[in-house]
Amino acid sequence: MELREFFSEDVVKLELESSGKDDLLKEMIGLLGLDEKSESILYKMLKRRENLGSTGIGKGIAIPHCRSLVVNRLRVAFGRKPGGIDFRAIDEQPVHNVFLIVAPPLEVSNQYLPVLGKIAQFSKEADVPSRLGEISTAKEFMALLEEKGI
Amino acid sequence: MHPQLEKLLEIQDMKSQRADLLEQTDGGNVEVEVFNISADEALEQLDEKIVEMEESLEASVRNRYKRVAGSRGKFIVPVINGTCFGCFVSIPTAVASGPDRNQALQFCDSCGRFLYMVG
Repeated sequence: MELREFFSEDVVKLELESSGKDDLLKEMIGLLGLDEKSESILYKMLKRRENLGSTGIGKGIAIPHCRSLVVNRLRVAFGRKPGGIDFRAIDEQPVHNVFLIVAPPLEVSNQYLPVLGKIAQFSKEADVPSRLGEISTAKEFMALLEEKGI
Repeated sequence: MHPQLEKLLEIQDMKSQRADLLEQTDGGNVEVEVFNISADEALEQLDEKIVEMEESLEASVRNRYKRVAGSRGKFIVPVINGTCFGCFVSIPTAVASGPDRNQALQFCDSCGRFLYMVG
């Protein structure tokens, strides 16, 4: 299973516009192209997960995630906020790069937790935060995943 | 969307979140190892919310929920391409199609689970 299989250029946004954590979550959800009601349910679940503890894992990276029946397969998105945003991250530093992961509760191939782990592993590579800051197109983001063989 | 259906969806999603907190993968428990979550505290918080949501269900819905959740675990399942993803039996077209399919609370005649129309 390769991480890049789950991403496509249309779920990559390199200039997130939101200025607060809640709006940023909504903006990320918007990349998935769901209907309004599904977006609202998903937002509630992501907020509930954030209430258990921030998904800001440090080094400017956050990985908001949840399971929900409003999606029928594992969905991911990537967003970048060049100026950073307060995400109440573990290291208390602003978050610049956000990976969103959503999966249905019933998964035939059980990919959710492994994908979550892979994104975390990718994010922890020493050069990844700076490389993510340098990319200028969605294509370059896809190329970075390819280069990392992840 | 039917308000009771929305509550059922939330309960199902929280129960899935709960299961993930207990799940061990090759890299250990992702939530604990990567996100530094206190599993005990998180479980307690989720359990409280699940009970609160269960109690807020209408009596008839709660009865079916308890019956189905007790015997089958998954109490609400998606309908994808006209098929119940709980028992994989075809759902009548009148139930599975139409623009406002989630406006009514519907269940599978075969397995009894609540249905959520996806896509």
